[in-house]
Amino acid sequence: MISWNRYIYRIFIIISFVGVIVLVLFGISQTLSYLNTGADRSSMLHLALNKEQIYLPKIVWKDTTNPGRPMEKQTLFDIEQDYLNAWYIRNAAYQTNKNEGIEDYYTKSARKNIDSTLQFNKEQGIAIHSTTTNHTIDLDFYSADGQLAVLTDSNVKEYQRVYRNETMILETEIKSDYQVLLMLEDGFWRVRHIVKEESKKQDTIIESNGFAKTIDDIIYVENKEYQIKGINYYPQKTPWDMFGDSFDIKAIRKDFDILLDGGLNTIRIFVPYEMFGKANVEVEKIEKLKQVLDNAENKELMVIVTLFDFYGDYSVLDWTLTHRHAEQIVSAFKEHKAILAWDIKNEPNLDFDTRGKENVLAWLKEMKHQIKQYDPNHLITIGWSDIESASLLQDEMDIISFHYYLDQNSFTDSYSELKTNIQKPLVLQEFGLSSNRGLWSPFGASQKKQADYHQQFQEIIKQENLHYMSWTLYDFEEVPSAVVGKLPWRKHKQKHFGFIDREGNKKPAFKFIGN
Amino acid sequence: MKLNKRKRYIILLLFPIVIAISIAFTNSTTQKRNITATLLTKSTTFEAGQNIQLDFKLSDSVETELFLHSSYGTTVITPNLSDNTQFDIPDFMANKKGRITYTLVYKSKGIASGEIKIIATTEQKVFLESYIGPPSIIAGGRDYTMQTVLANDSYDNPIADSTKVIMKHQFLDRIEERELYSKDMITWTNIFSYKQSGRMLLFSKVHATVSKEFSVEVYPSLPENFEITSKREHIYADGNQITEFITSIIRDENGNIVSDGTMVDFSIKDKSGLLLHTQGKTIEGKAVAKMLHPSHHEIWQIKGYVHGMAESNTLLLEYEAVLDDFNVQFTNHNREIKVGPLISFMEQLIPDGAIVKMNIIKNGVKIDTKIESSSQGLVRFILQEGFYDTGEYTIEISALGVEKKYNDIRLK
Repeated sequence: MISWNRYIYRIFIIISFVGVIVLVLFGISQTLSYLNTGADRSSMLHLALNKEQIYLPKIVWKDTTNPGRPMEKQTLFDIEQDYLNAWYIRNAAYQTNKNEGIEDYYTKSARKNIDSTLQFNKEQGIAIHSTTTNHTIDLDFYSADGQLAVLTDSNVKEYQRVYRNETMILETEIKSDYQVLLMLEDGFWRVRHIVKEESKKQDTIIESNGFAKTIDDIIYVENKEYQIKGINYYPQKTPWDMFGDSFDIKAIRKDFDILLDGGLNTIRIFVPYEMFGKANVEVEKIEKLKQVLDNAENKELMVIVTLFDFYGDYSVLDWTLTHRHAEQIVSAFKEHKAILAWDIKNEPNLDFDTRGKENVLAWLKEMKHQIKQYDPNHLITIGWSDIESASLLQDEMDIISFHYYLDQNSFTDSYSELKTNIQKPLVLQEFGLSSNRGLWSPFGASQKKQADYHQQFQEIIKQENLHYMSWTLYDFEEVPSAVVGKLPWRKHKQKHFGFIDREGNKKPAFKFIGN
Repeated sequence: MKLNKRKRYIILLLFPIVIAISIAFTNSTTQKRNITATLLTKSTTFEAGQNIQLDFKLSDSVETELFLHSSYGTTVITPNLSDNTQFDIPDFMANKKGRITYTLVYKSKGIASGEIKIIATTEQKVFLESYIGPPSIIAGGRDYTMQTVLANDSYDNPIADSTKVIMKHQFLDRIEERELYSKDMITWTNIFSYKQSGRMLLFSKVHATVSKEFSVEVYPSLPENFEITSKREHIYADGNQITEFITSIIRDENGNIVSDGTMVDFSIKDKSGLLLHTQGKTIEGKAVAKMLHPSHHEIWQIKGYVHGMAESNTLLLEYEAVLDDFNVQFTNHNREIKVGPLISFMEQLIPDGAIVKMNIIKNGVKIDTKIESSSQGLVRFILQEGFYDTGEYTIEISALGVEKKYNDIRLK
């Protein structure tokens, strides 16, 4: 017994000794790590700023001749960066009612004015989501010592959404001119004065070359009536990643022949936002897209290009980045004869719940203006996921596109109702049936049923003289989770919508791919 | 019971009718009425700091809000409590110059909108911010400094364009005044340098407000070519005394003495074409540089440079050798060699430190060179046994430009 007690004492002493040591070491390390916290010295140099471009409204320097001093390229770049940052920081401040970063881009006396407005808005529960989309700058003055600049920023387009206690009060778009005095302080060009002036200039309307247009509910391409007989297209090997590393133009060309044999004249393809490089679109992606379009033109296929695939931010402060994305793609192809229309976004109405309907609609509306500005020649549409959403923003669109995956028999009713409300070309932009009978869905449609479905739809199409694009040419091996989620039965379904199976054999439905 | 039942039917019939009517009625009341509004306030231009009240007339009495967009930001205000169409523009907007866009909002829709204009106060009191740059310029009339003045009203708004601004500057015996008019938020002028160097004082004035004094340094322009002279204690190449090279007063093209500290580089080319350098910085336009006398007969060509800007004439200096010959004594089986006494130009002992060089050659191959400096006119070389075997050597001794050669010196 005694020896047992002794062991217990010994164990107790050893454990408590180890415990004390652990505590002491922990204490020391915590003290040391606390002493090491604090501002990083390199932050004094403001090097981390300007690292990532987060605000890219369209900015044009109209004129830099001024009576003071010739402007240097580098200074011009610095002024532009800091001036835009001043806008961004200000927009962000009004959204959150916190004055973070304001002191970097506004001098002490200018800061007061923003602070007092922020204070007032905070008390009133007002939040303003805003962005500027256009700046046209004239340099009025640049001082001999390079420390002071005056510029006039005309035609500044400001989109604003005003909330009071989280309910939206107003949505506006204001065009103003500003005169701004900037001073170089601590390496920042800071706003000293900003004065809003009367907006004098009118928007220049960019004329279309008339390549594609619509009159009432008819589409014209080069003045000839155009009936869309189409399909949503992904290469079999690279679904949802058409322009990735395994881009294969030869396979795409072969597919084009299959589509032409099937009697189709149009394809719909997808440009993913992030994969194309977001605000700085990669040249090689544009090059790949060009190859696809050039080949389509050779084969006399027309293309509806769906932009912003997998994009989902829509927040006002993110607008300018998406505008630059659209600008780079759209202006590169504004003269391209293979493009029928730009589809701004695929099924944006599915984001209404998570991102806010007003956010999404405002983004789409502005994006339409942006695209038209860089490419007035092609048509614009939005691929709504259901027939009910099709009437949204209908005044802004050239053609109205909707998807239909519901019961075939009720299609005619819904369609004729839509038709009475909208006097524009209507496109059934996606429809199809998955022949996914198998382990994951024992009651799914068979290939025969799929063929019947398409046969019946082709009859409706003939009857209604519909523009149509079916989903999709191929059955796929893999479907990324970003498309339908991770659930295996949903993935399985998405793999079997094709007219051609995984082995490359035409399914019975292929007979009814076109008419 | 029967009656009751009938009553029930009636009630059951009446109920939906009542509901239908009430729904129809509420529908008509909640329908968005077309409200129109007009601005009653006549004037649309205000001075900063004024109380601005916008008064609207509505076609129907409803609750509205006023959206305001100004130079520095956006806000929404509610009407004054007393009346639901009168809006006081808050100070932070009413005090700032520029346009304010307003929209009268009723149920998320703008029902009236427009602009009001706020101008800087016309009060006499202004605040001046002056910026002068660059702070130093070069005399001669080609270089200039810029005086920029931001005149702000008491609410920190840039004053109206075309406000008169007086700018003055003083330089030596001149005082010049310029009358300028503000434009693009600022007023500015370029002040070119005069021919003289010195300090320029600047100042500006708007209405009754005067700025503080600013100064700009006017530095002399680039130096012009100059002359050099030399100063030495004697003409002998004793390797001991110092020669000074002195520039004339270096001036710019307008006769201003160049800034103190201007570096003058003297480059000396000797008989054999080697280059020596020495430098001096100017004080009051004069630079002095020093060089040790050579230790043998020498002719120096000296030229001064302010690099990239100016140069001097070439100066020629000859140094005469101080001795023709010296004694060499071999003792202790030729292992101890005594050179000297070295006698200078007046037959005085040469000052300590004169260099004597001895080459030791065996079988036509130079095996060693010994260098010693003189002490009391003498130099002693010792060739130790351990280092130099017995045999025949050739010894060459040179000092102060004189060379002597001894063949067949036998060491034991």
